[in-house]
Amino acid sequence: MAGTTITPAASYGSTAQAASVKRERGHIIAGLAPVLLWQTLFFVIPMLILLVYSFWTMRDYRLDYTFTLDNYVAIFTNPIYFKAFLLSLQVALFVTVICAVLAVPVAYFIAKKAGRWRVMLLVMVIIPFWVSLVMRAFAWRLLLGERGFINRGLELTGVIEQPFSFLLYSPTAIVIGLVYAYLPLYVLPLYASFDKVHDNWIAAAQDLNATPMRAFWEVTFPLALPGLMVGAVFCFIFGLGEYIVPALLGGGKSLMISQAIRLEFELRQNWPGGAALSIVLMAIVMAILAVSLRWLRPETAR
Amino acid sequence: MDNQAEPELLVVNMIGTGITAGRDVAPEKGVRVDGVTKRYGSSTAVDNVSISIEPGEFVTLLGPSGCGKSTLLRMISGFVIPDDGDIRIDGQSVVALPPFKRNTAMVFQDYALFPHRTVAQNLAFGLRMRRLPRPEIERRVDRMLEMIELRGLGERSTDQISGGQAQRVALGRALIVEPALLLLDEPLGALDLKLRRQMQAELKRIQREMKLTFLYVTHDQEEALTMSDRIAVMRAGRVEQYAAPSEIYNNPTTAFVADFVGEANLLPAVVAEPSSGLVVVAGRKLRIPPEQARGLVAGSSVSLAIRSEAVQLAPPGASVEPGLAGTVEEVLFAGSTAKVIVRFEGELTLIATLGAGTPLPERGQQVGVGWREADIRIVT
Amino acid sequence: MSAGTVKLGRPNPAKGGVALTAYTALIFAFLYLPIAVIILFAFDDKPVPGLPMAGLTLDWFGKAFSDPDLMASLFVSIKLALSSAVLATAIAMPAAMVLAWREVRLRTLVMCLLLAPIVVPQIVIGLGLVLLFRLVPDLIGSPAIIIAHTTLTACYATMILYSRLLGFRRSYLEAAMDLGASDLRVFFEIILPLAAPALLAVMLLAFTDAFGEYIVAWFVAGFTETLPIVIWGSMRGVLSPAINAISSVIIVVSLVLSALSQIWIIRQSRSSS
Repeated sequence: MAGTTITPAASYGSTAQAASVKRERGHIIAGLAPVLLWQTLFFVIPMLILLVYSFWTMRDYRLDYTFTLDNYVAIFTNPIYFKAFLLSLQVALFVTVICAVLAVPVAYFIAKKAGRWRVMLLVMVIIPFWVSLVMRAFAWRLLLGERGFINRGLELTGVIEQPFSFLLYSPTAIVIGLVYAYLPLYVLPLYASFDKVHDNWIAAAQDLNATPMRAFWEVTFPLALPGLMVGAVFCFIFGLGEYIVPALLGGGKSLMISQAIRLEFELRQNWPGGAALSIVLMAIVMAILAVSLRWLRPETAR
Repeated sequence: MDNQAEPELLVVNMIGTGITAGRDVAPEKGVRVDGVTKRYGSSTAVDNVSISIEPGEFVTLLGPSGCGKSTLLRMISGFVIPDDGDIRIDGQSVVALPPFKRNTAMVFQDYALFPHRTVAQNLAFGLRMRRLPRPEIERRVDRMLEMIELRGLGERSTDQISGGQAQRVALGRALIVEPALLLLDEPLGALDLKLRRQMQAELKRIQREMKLTFLYVTHDQEEALTMSDRIAVMRAGRVEQYAAPSEIYNNPTTAFVADFVGEANLLPAVVAEPSSGLVVVAGRKLRIPPEQARGLVAGSSVSLAIRSEAVQLAPPGASVEPGLAGTVEEVLFAGSTAKVIVRFEGELTLIATLGAGTPLPERGQQVGVGWREADIRIVT
Repeated sequence: MSAGTVKLGRPNPAKGGVALTAYTALIFAFLYLPIAVIILFAFDDKPVPGLPMAGLTLDWFGKAFSDPDLMASLFVSIKLALSSAVLATAIAMPAAMVLAWREVRLRTLVMCLLLAPIVVPQIVIGLGLVLLFRLVPDLIGSPAIIIAHTTLTACYATMILYSRLLGFRRSYLEAAMDLGASDLRVFFEIILPLAAPALLAVMLLAFTDAFGEYIVAWFVAGFTETLPIVIWGSMRGVLSPAINAISSVIIVVSLVLSALSQIWIIRQSRSSS
């Protein structure tokens, strides 16, 4: 066995280890690269572009590239923008609360009392969400107008004599439309939370002389809070930035922030202004997310 | 180059290695695990393990959960890369090869039969990956179905067969590629006792007939004793003893092996005279066989191991060597055997296994306990 | 307190479970009322939809399907939605596999990047994209719409596939590799067939979503017209029931497609949990 060089066993293992780590990393990069590159190119960069534009201005239909905070100043001083933000926040809050109240019993029913129909009911709640919002909002026009389904129905059956005019083209209509749009979104996480509450916990509470109502408030509801928070956060965020429902049902007397953005862009050709509004809107959304994550983290850790 | 070597040997050597000229190592067959180590964070799962498996051997890795046997198996099959060491199969180092390039095949604990394929398609998978021609694949699949006694079930889907049948399909799928090493990861765990015994005999038969090399992992020492040519008893990442079943059973080298395999009584003892005797905690001086006394140091603490079947009980008065006196604490009847737990002064207990038909003592009875000097083993 | 049967009713002992059931039925009625109205008025035999119904007719369907602009926009929508669904699923699958099966160090960052487009208001995304495409004006129109929709749908496509793949039995992959399958062959022989239902479900959802999406499409559409854009435009002027007709068809198809997809996804998550 003289004169041969055999690599010591130890280094076989460690070189193999290094090679496998490299291969592993290659797989990870290859897998994530398409999606991440795509999102960077078509999401991150447009957001950065918006940021850049927000510091420019539009003069005589031409872009002025000097850095300025004028757009932001305008947002905070111009009462129209202020009102738009206020309206959006109010509407979003209202919608969130109403959705929460409406969704809880439904989610509870499906989770606890639906038995075999569970899957079917859950599916039936979700699928309207996937139908184009344009069409669904369009439908509410038919329903809410003075000649619409509801008013005519009520008139024909003699309940009222004059049609309700506030139903359409009003903040009421926006709220109805948004509640309609996001209710399925709320039911889902609530259902998931309720599902996790074991029946025998509730039974145990009732065994200990709790009425059904107390059992619900003391046992079921607290455990459903995570679902409630998740639904609330998404409902609120989506409600803030929603365009289609306010545009179709709002009537144009008072604008929500998304409409203001489109106005700046389309009518006034003020892209920097629209960009600045977008950035402020995004900042609000991110702030809400950051705050809620702190809420949600300790909840989900349980 | 060695001028004194015979020309034929040189030629054989050069052809045999085939990789680099000048290596005059003879072509080896079998599996060599050489100094393999695997660490996870601060704990070591496998600690510098070196074993070798001869071609045609049935070797079992035996040990409690967490001892590293599954990790070692997965390193040999290629799903885990060792931090140190080498693994050679038939002379070729496989440590840098991904699993699909190694000539090993594994029978998984959960069988892992492909649910979207029929039984026959599962069997054929490995052959398809090796790009064998279609008629050849069909022929081998038919033959394998015969061998695992599932003839006619080839077109069944995997959820239409029983657990035992699925186990055989998993085995057949691995056997059909005729690997240099077949790895089995506790494959019989999900089967009931009777089926398990049947499969153990089957596996042994197939291994011998096909002259394959098997590496088996289990925590069931009876299983290991029944099937293996050699057993590697593992604990905390190390191999404590690697020998034939009879050797492991009769001559355990450590207290752990003595305790894990079979039922052994371990009595703490202090070495009095290395040349002849030692002292049991019960205060008695006992003689041990001379071979066991080799290498012992006076005053050191060791364990005296006696198999429970080797313990003899006698009513007081009747002579039995060394004749320790104790009280029967418990009698456990188990059909073909019975276990009697005898308590001595202090906390020492001894378990005796009595065969069927032996008259059983009663609880509370005084008995004398003894054994043949030749049955004593000293372990550290 | 009666120990035998425990009534787990709504927090109102007096009315018990009946109230809850009735309430739920009401909510479902609320959810499907607008949809029912559109479908109903698609059959209404008068030019302006409204109560009372003038009679049932299929004329509007005929009108809708013979209107060249409407049909053109329908095919454009189908084509673009299909493209973006396929593209989104194609880039989502490798990412979902990596996230589900490997240790990724910057996992939270990746998740944030993937989820961000969902929470950012669509109008903001639309504005950002149209400003981006000013640099590449040739892409405005169909390519830009495909790109925009892919960006939106790839997010939840990845999440859905990721959660499905978490329950994927790794021993299948190991067994295939052990028997000689290379990484590529493992993908085509094992992963793809077993994940095919999930991939299809995700593609269906992405298609349905992209098909009906309006606001981002409007920003980057240029002169291209998708069906939602046409419908929106028609609402400015006289409301033609032909729009109702085409909408009802789309609605029914959307409901069916997403129902199939959701049923499958829910069933799968229950069988593996």
